[in-house]
Amino acid sequence: MSDERWMRASARWARLLLHLYPRDFRDEMGMGVVETYLDHCRTAVRRGGLLALCGVWAKAFVDSLWNGVAERLRPAVSWRRSGDWGLDAQRAVRRLVRTPLFAVAMLGTLTVGLGAFATVYAVVDRVLLAPLPYDRPDDLHFVWRNYKWVPFERGWVGGTDVAALQAAGGAIEGAVGLRTERMTMTHGTDGEPAEVPIMLSTPNLFRVLGVQLARGRGFAPNEGGPGRPPVIVLSDNLWRDRFGADPSVIGSEVRLDGRPFTVIGVAQPGFRFKRHASEGPPESADAYITFEMDLATTSPNSGAFAVLVRARAGTTAERFGAAVGAVGAMIDRRDFRSRGLELYPVGAKGDLVARVRPALIVLGAAGAFLVLVLAVNLATLLLARVAQREREFAISRALGANHVAVARATLFEGGLLGLVGGVGGTLVAVWGTRALVAIAPADLPRREAIGVDWRIATVVIAVGAALGVVAALLPAMWATRTRLMSLLSNANVRGGGGHGRMRRAMVVVQVALSLVLLTTGGLVVRSFERLLRANPGFDATGVLTMRIPVSSARYQTPAQSTALHERLEREIAALPGVTAIGAASALPLTAGVDQAGIQLPGAPGNTGDKEHDGPLADYIPARGRFFEALGIRLVAGRLFAPRLEPGVNEVLIDRTLAEEFYPSGSPIGARINIDGDSGTVIGVIEHARQYDIHKDGRYQVYIRNEYNGYRSLSYAIKANRSPTDLTAEVRAAVHRVDPQLAIANLRAMEEVVDDSLRQQRLSAVLIAAFSLGALSLAAMGLFGVVSAAVNRRRHEIAVRLALGADHASVRRLLLREGAGLVLGGVLLGVPGIYLAGRAVAGALVGVSPFDATTVGAVAAGLVVVALAACYIPARRVTGIEPAQAFREE
Amino acid sequence: MTMDRELPIERLLPLRPVEFDILLSLATGERHGYGIIQDAESRGLGPAPDVGTLYRALRRLQDQGMIEAADRRPAREADDERRNYYRVTPLGLRLAKAEAKRLAALTRAARLGGLLERGAI
Repeated sequence: MSDERWMRASARWARLLLHLYPRDFRDEMGMGVVETYLDHCRTAVRRGGLLALCGVWAKAFVDSLWNGVAERLRPAVSWRRSGDWGLDAQRAVRRLVRTPLFAVAMLGTLTVGLGAFATVYAVVDRVLLAPLPYDRPDDLHFVWRNYKWVPFERGWVGGTDVAALQAAGGAIEGAVGLRTERMTMTHGTDGEPAEVPIMLSTPNLFRVLGVQLARGRGFAPNEGGPGRPPVIVLSDNLWRDRFGADPSVIGSEVRLDGRPFTVIGVAQPGFRFKRHASEGPPESADAYITFEMDLATTSPNSGAFAVLVRARAGTTAERFGAAVGAVGAMIDRRDFRSRGLELYPVGAKGDLVARVRPALIVLGAAGAFLVLVLAVNLATLLLARVAQREREFAISRALGANHVAVARATLFEGGLLGLVGGVGGTLVAVWGTRALVAIAPADLPRREAIGVDWRIATVVIAVGAALGVVAALLPAMWATRTRLMSLLSNANVRGGGGHGRMRRAMVVVQVALSLVLLTTGGLVVRSFERLLRANPGFDATGVLTMRIPVSSARYQTPAQSTALHERLEREIAALPGVTAIGAASALPLTAGVDQAGIQLPGAPGNTGDKEHDGPLADYIPARGRFFEALGIRLVAGRLFAPRLEPGVNEVLIDRTLAEEFYPSGSPIGARINIDGDSGTVIGVIEHARQYDIHKDGRYQVYIRNEYNGYRSLSYAIKANRSPTDLTAEVRAAVHRVDPQLAIANLRAMEEVVDDSLRQQRLSAVLIAAFSLGALSLAAMGLFGVVSAAVNRRRHEIAVRLALGADHASVRRLLLREGAGLVLGGVLLGVPGIYLAGRAVAGALVGVSPFDATTVGAVAAGLVVVALAACYIPARRVTGIEPAQAFREE
Repeated sequence: MTMDRELPIERLLPLRPVEFDILLSLATGERHGYGIIQDAESRGLGPAPDVGTLYRALRRLQDQGMIEAADRRPAREADDERRNYYRVTPLGLRLAKAEAKRLAALTRAARLGGLLERGAI
């Protein structure tokens, strides 16, 4: 190759490298740069031949890379170096006041967007991020039993386990045994008896938590166990609601199930200790008493206690886990003949929030996404504003204005808008969080702590300001970048300058982000719809429910309480409209039933595997016409006989159990062992879901309550009248039987179902709102781009029209441009859909994260909305008359 | 231009090495880009500036009014391609002198501080 050709190649290389520099630099200095590189190359060839030339090429690449990037960053650097901030702020305010429409549009967008973000942030912060309000909360753990020989990994511990953990020492600083019970509370002479959730614990509860009481004192170490003094600590809520915040309550007497207790303390207002449940949501209590029994002497077989354990400060998770495991191993040897029982700790906070974590993470991500869309939208708006004012910039630059000032003004404008928007967003969030708490699930951990405080307000306002500045960064860079000449020529030609490309890119990004958010929203909403349509195995319509707590002090023998329930049933069944009434230990979907180990000896479904043949089943004592009242279908056999038949232990099993153990034959008449007792299967009924509305839980066995004598029962009353109409009459009927009885949770079964769906409803509502917000933002962006294109290309369009194009074809041209952007956004969003789908999979029920129908429908909807947003401004083309347009020029 | 609107030159000091190289070169006459690099090389004080660094500095100095583009004309070398030439403005000359004075003072101070042997420069 001749030298001449090498030089031509070098020139091409140098020109290629020039593209690393910003355009204005390229325009102005490019020729000089290329020439100088060529001079270098020539010298190199002369001195060292081709090898030296290659060296120059390589050096030129490194040089251009470094200096090109540095030159692109220059506006930001020089902005930092110079300028009068106060004046800039003043000018930005003045400019915004002069264009109220723009300011209002921006602030409205920001307020709503940041408000949504702040609301979600407040919830996520309080529930997932903020520590529990106890001393060294990270050292608190709940400990569970894992029965390795039955599939039951999360069982209550026995009282003996609590005693062993307390005695262990070492890494275990303290252990609190806990149990919640519902008791009927009365105090003074007046006041209706009420059922109150009571937390029974060992006396060290408040000490292990490390909390102080608001009034009075906590339990002394000797105030537990047999013969303990009957003392009670009230929660702040109870003290306010039932005792009128009476400061002299300390020392007064209340009765629980008829037994007297002395009030010794009132907890702090914020104190709502929750004990996690083995199944279902965590439970809190309204008052605290101590156990009257000695936990060390309880039966190791009865897992009936929760245990809260505090790790010694500075203990690693591994060492603590090992210490708990060692206690478990000792108990396994001592009490379970080494069948494989294990104890394991779970961090208290993680345990409490585990149920809501997936939903909250999805919500948090959706909130972050919304903020992203908002930022891009903001940038588009600011860019449009800069573009409108480019002539003004060009002239002021020509008159000697510092080019940095233009960038600074744009940045200030963005920051200021963001700041004010952040304040607005905080205000929205104050109301938003209140509304949210109202529709939030009752079991949302730390629900009462959710709210906007100064810390959250600061974060939101800072996010707003940062958002404004970041969004203004691109337009600001563009404004400084653009040199006087190109500005003036751009402004004259009105053909869409460099910012046009940037704006289009932003719209593509917006469409992509909205698509991802909308798809996620669509999936969550669809999953919620699946839940609403799920068949839980019972019929909630027209069913009124209530719980009647019956104290053992007043109804001592099972026969007495059975007689009471019979009277209650008779009294209520006689009410007009009531068609069926019955009761059970707990209602479906409330996760309130007990469990028992069962065996079906001789059933064809037995496999010989001990784990499979001796499963743990939900154990539900029921009475009266419970199944008719809840519409639980009888699959085979018969229901309980109206009268107790001596000698027959009637047992009903659910469909899932029958299908597993009697896949072909009939289980009717089969013998069933329940925790050692033997019974006869008289019928098979539909599986009424106890835990989740969308999936079957454990096998279920129903026994006649008469055998077992559960005192406190939950009633289901089916009537052909509205349940709400019935409440007063039911209340009166109960009090006719016994005026001392408390009535708890008197509500329609549909409310129970609703309650179990609260979390999903919340997610669905929020995500739907977020994605619609994102969609409208994206539509606004598209609208803006296309209408700006129509404005800027007026002249060009006029020429086209004058040369014979008709309005329709010009409109098609503009629409094509918009459609291209939409298509680009959709393509860009597809990988995002995939990632988002994988992230939300855990929170979805009955819907695949890549459900083709949902994704397709959402994408189609987005395209339609986006094209409409293009079409409306494109229609304005019709208004352009070539002659008039030229005259305007 | 009135005196009070003039840029206080001291605020621009110290100059970057590449800026001083440029002003120093142009002080003796008009140069094109490669000419400035050759001048810097001939001074033998470390590596000459990279092309990108040089042109970014040229643009900066031009924006500040320290240098200006001269006519585009063929280079003195054998080939007859045309080149962009630059020359220093009176303001640029003042700036270069101020920087030179600052450097001289610095050198003096270094000598007094015992960092330089007598007659080293």
